[in-house]
Amino acid sequence: MTESAAILTKTEAEGARRPGLLRRLRYLEPSNLLWILLIAALLFLVAVPIGKLLIVSFEKQGSGDFTFANYATAYGRVRYLEALGNSLMLGGLSALLAVVFAVPLAWAVSRTDMPGKGLTWAMVMGAFIMPPYLGAVGWILLAGPNSGFINQAWTWLTGLQAPLVNVYSFFGLALVISLHSFPLIFIFVKSALDLISSEMEDAANILGAGTWTTTRKVTLPLVWPAVLGGIIVVFLETVALFGTPAIIGIPARINVVTTQLWQFFEYPVRVEVAAAYAMPLLLITIGMIAVQKLLLARKGFVSQTGKGGERRPIRLGRWRWVVLGYCGFVGLLAVLMPLAVLLQASFAKAWGRGLSWDNLTLGNYGYLLFRHEMALPSIWNTLWFSAASATAAVVIAVLVAYIVARKLVPFGSVLSFLAMAPFVIPGIVMAIGFYAAYAAPPIALYGTALIIILAFTARFLPIAFANSAAAVRAVHPEMEEAARILGGGRLLTVRRITAPLIIRSLIGGWLIVFIVASRELSAAVFLVGPRTRTMSVLLYDLSEAGNFEVLAAFGGLLLAITLILVAIGMKLAGRDFMLRRS
Amino acid sequence: MQGISRRGLLASAAIIGSGGAVARAAAQELPSHERELYEAARREGEITWYSGQQSAETSEAVGRAFGERYPGVHVNVVRSTSQVAFQRLSQDMRAGVAQCDVFSSTDYSHSTFLKRQGRLMAYRPQNAAGLIEVAREAGDPDGHFHVFYIGVHLISRHTGQVPEGEAPKSWTDLLDPKWRDKLAVGHPGYSGAIGSWALLMRKLYGWDYFTRLEKNRPQIGRSSIDPVTILSAGERQIGVAVPSATALLAISRGNPQALIYPADGTVVVPSPSCIPKDAPHPNAAKLFMEFATGPEYFRVTRRYFSESLRGDVPPPEGAKPLDSIKLIVPTPQEVETGVTEVKEQWRDTFGI
Repeated sequence: MTESAAILTKTEAEGARRPGLLRRLRYLEPSNLLWILLIAALLFLVAVPIGKLLIVSFEKQGSGDFTFANYATAYGRVRYLEALGNSLMLGGLSALLAVVFAVPLAWAVSRTDMPGKGLTWAMVMGAFIMPPYLGAVGWILLAGPNSGFINQAWTWLTGLQAPLVNVYSFFGLALVISLHSFPLIFIFVKSALDLISSEMEDAANILGAGTWTTTRKVTLPLVWPAVLGGIIVVFLETVALFGTPAIIGIPARINVVTTQLWQFFEYPVRVEVAAAYAMPLLLITIGMIAVQKLLLARKGFVSQTGKGGERRPIRLGRWRWVVLGYCGFVGLLAVLMPLAVLLQASFAKAWGRGLSWDNLTLGNYGYLLFRHEMALPSIWNTLWFSAASATAAVVIAVLVAYIVARKLVPFGSVLSFLAMAPFVIPGIVMAIGFYAAYAAPPIALYGTALIIILAFTARFLPIAFANSAAAVRAVHPEMEEAARILGGGRLLTVRRITAPLIIRSLIGGWLIVFIVASRELSAAVFLVGPRTRTMSVLLYDLSEAGNFEVLAAFGGLLLAITLILVAIGMKLAGRDFMLRRS
Repeated sequence: MQGISRRGLLASAAIIGSGGAVARAAAQELPSHERELYEAARREGEITWYSGQQSAETSEAVGRAFGERYPGVHVNVVRSTSQVAFQRLSQDMRAGVAQCDVFSSTDYSHSTFLKRQGRLMAYRPQNAAGLIEVAREAGDPDGHFHVFYIGVHLISRHTGQVPEGEAPKSWTDLLDPKWRDKLAVGHPGYSGAIGSWALLMRKLYGWDYFTRLEKNRPQIGRSSIDPVTILSAGERQIGVAVPSATALLAISRGNPQALIYPADGTVVVPSPSCIPKDAPHPNAAKLFMEFATGPEYFRVTRRYFSESLRGDVPPPEGAKPLDSIKLIVPTPQEVETGVTEVKEQWRDTFGI
């Protein structure tokens, strides 16, 4: 609610408090203490749970003796290897589709005079806020081969019986996933585009390049790090996703890593084998970060130089309607169509009876709001867990990103690896790691809110980190050096120079983490206790109860609440979050 | 925290508002064996119930009804899937934290495993004598676990698309090629009930049943409940091995579905409940066992379309009494050894 405001006032409050402390600690290299603290936090959040998993993967069940047998079991069957291959292909295809959706939208909203920008923003936010699980249900209703609205309309129009689209296919699965993950790339790319001044484009224009060539040769290459970061995040998120592959992939007979992992958690639970099976995913993460380094090496992406610069929208002329049409198309696919069918279900007495006046009811909402024991507490839990996790993740991420970018400590790449690693650990495995490491005494976080907040913080640290790293990379060290030369300490420089330059990106990052945490299912489902149930877990429970009308209504509530909070957050974070500087 | 105080408030409101005298009178009217336990349970004040059996809504209603019948003893309902509930309990045990008083799951092997490990308290609820035969026999002869919930799994049809005359009458009817691309079913890897159903089909007709079923390309979901939703949407027309309670709930809301009790036997999956040896509130746990095998429990759960396992409580609206139809039931041993095999065979046959 007011969390984003709290961030702002906190930094101000700190600004007032810190100087006294700084004077005293000036000669003790205060920044170093902070770095040590940070490393400890990363170890606690990431290294220990993952390390525990690594150890477990070499342990024999029961006795704890050293063994390689778990790896032999995990990779001893073709079916298991196929699942791994499917996940990698799915991640690749989803990331590709997400780029196709996100980059044109981000460019249109950030750089052009396209009308309806606010609406496009709202669409992207909507796609992002909607839990993928809920979106998948919506798409089953739209594109089910027999009953889907799209296919029924197609049959009605053409008389053909064969379905036009089939959600139960590899492409259908990738499309549904990308429709709910493209906002990640959109937000990364848009905030990067916002920082580029028109002068660079002007230079290309003066030399004879048209709008299209300029965009292709100058603008987009400048935001390449943001695109790449986004691709990696979407790829990793897809590989770790459980809900959508389970609800669409199983009927499509597509086995992926997460559904395979679930099998290792069946009775008798083989945590050891699951841990062994999850290990190569870590290698992939390392590989992707290496590739990213290679691709970005020896090129300059600095767009913020402290030398001023003006930003003007590109005039699209007639083309702006074409661009707007594309934005509308994406919005239709990602939000309007699935939302329409879900809303219909949420106001229906019986979903199977379709649209008619006597089938309309508010009863599903009334039941959740006034008679359901857990609906309201779960909403409150979700809000404050998500806010706390987002705050913790952003604070840690920006500090790590800064250390790594400015090479303040040796082995900085280890820190960035630690910050990126959690994303590729499927939520359920991450939860097991947390459970194994921290549930039992002496730490005994079992059933507490803290264990969920910590797990969310760790799980979404990579989003906050990718976001912060891109923001920090765009700030040229010259500006900090100027402050240092004039006698400012490291922390003072960060506070006065760097922080104000990147605060917008950070608020964006905070909102992203808040939203993904509020819809998180796979880790939460394992860590919730009797009093710490979240909305996504309740949604999942409702789906098990076969009461689809109430499920849709709860999804509607979830969307409404998150939308309101995001709107308030944006308002409090300042107009400049959405509008360009004039 | 919030939940407790609110429920506490409700409980006290029930005592003060709806007449403390009534509640007290109700407590006085308890049978003597319940009254003794209630006295002891009131000193313990609460019980924690890990359950994967009923829906969350039904479980909460059971908890409330218990609190109304035995004022001062509060039920913390920890509802999840059976597998998660079992993992939670295993983690508790490994960590040496005793939190659970009653453990209920849909998987026999959980209770037999705990019994073999010597983790369970033996207790024979007197009210269990009133249960129907299937439920009594499914319980542990040594009294370590009891059955007060069973899953009843049968066939359902979309009434708009499949008229009664054309509907399948038995499990083997589903192999008819006319049902190609029309069936929907859960997955034994996700649903213990589907595992038990597959086990019984294998026992009756051999694994060949499934290689022939695959020729009809059933749509495979996860939970045994999935076909109910798929039928409501009109995506498929025949639900295979759907739970009666969920189907009846969907029907009661007006969804166009109807139940078919297969001629070759309705599948019954007994789901055991037990008390861990180190339960922190042992008397309250025993009282809960009495409650859950007594008539009041089934009067509450039948409102949510769960089957009644007592002769003195009628079946839920729209369901046939269980003693009037042919039932097929797996034994605990079959479930414990067979379900793992069936899961592997399933994955080989269906490729998922």
